[in-house]
Amino acid sequence: MSRPAHKRPEYHKINKDLFVLTYGALVAQLCKDYEKDEDVNRYLDKMGYGIGTRLVEDFLARSCVRRCHSYSEIIDIIAQVAFKMYLGITPSVVCHNSSRNEFSLILDKNPLAEFVEELPAGRSALCYCNLLCGVIRGALEMVHLAADVTFLQDRLKGDSVTEIGITFLKKLDEKKYRRKK
Amino acid sequence: MAVCIAVIAKENYPLYIRSTPTENELKFHYMVHTSLDVVDEKISAMGKALVDQRELYLGLLYPTEDYKVYGYVTNSKVKFVMVVDSSNTALRDNEIRSMFRKLHNSYTDVMCNPFYNPGDRIQSRAFENMVTSMMIQVC
Repeated sequence: MSRPAHKRPEYHKINKDLFVLTYGALVAQLCKDYEKDEDVNRYLDKMGYGIGTRLVEDFLARSCVRRCHSYSEIIDIIAQVAFKMYLGITPSVVCHNSSRNEFSLILDKNPLAEFVEELPAGRSALCYCNLLCGVIRGALEMVHLAADVTFLQDRLKGDSVTEIGITFLKKLDEKKYRRKK
Repeated sequence: MAVCIAVIAKENYPLYIRSTPTENELKFHYMVHTSLDVVDEKISAMGKALVDQRELYLGLLYPTEDYKVYGYVTNSKVKFVMVVDSSNTALRDNEIRSMFRKLHNSYTDVMCNPFYNPGDRIQSRAFENMVTSMMIQVC
């Protein structure tokens, strides 16, 4: 009758198609509501930001990651733990500059855009997965790291891979104790 | 090897129709159009029996001297019509069924595209490639 001391959090699963179709319906509806691609991108980013600020708590609770000491460790955790946990893919990480605050995540397969072959006519500037950028930005901000997250390459726009660029803006403060993503 | 493949919407207008370019396209359009009557006849005939037993594959709709026309209807009343060369006797029923299944799967993928509105003409490249592979498939 006694409860186990440490119960693993349950992963409730849903059908991937349902999730992908829901995201697609969201983007399609935003496209109908707003004429300009920039507006759609901006609202997707805002929505993603709201999701990211909440999702990071769930992520930190489930994954029990250790404290990070550098930006590259943070990026590795985002790529290998967070993406794997929530989207089931593991993007590869590329570092762009010597001061080690600009990184890219290269996704060769994007599950959110599985059924979308190409962007509709007249929507060539649309970042279909801009929600992901907002999620990453919101999550990093909740652990007190300001970052700029954008799409550098997008397969839907004709590039060979999908690339998300993350640029950390403020210097990492190691003296204060806090859990870092 | 199919010479003409058509996808017809519930309201009986074509969503996608393609025939091998060497032949007279209008003739195939006409054949597909006339086959729709046969499709409706088969659907209504089957409707009297239990709906559960209704199969999606309709089989040979009607033969002409040069061609044979096969039909397949989905539960959402979208019809696939395929015209094959009569001289191609190597094509068995199973192969026609599998071709229709592939068509149905590709059509489902087109429907899942959030930017595709049901009732629009099908312009998906993946669908075109699949149809091309069926038409130039050498038996």
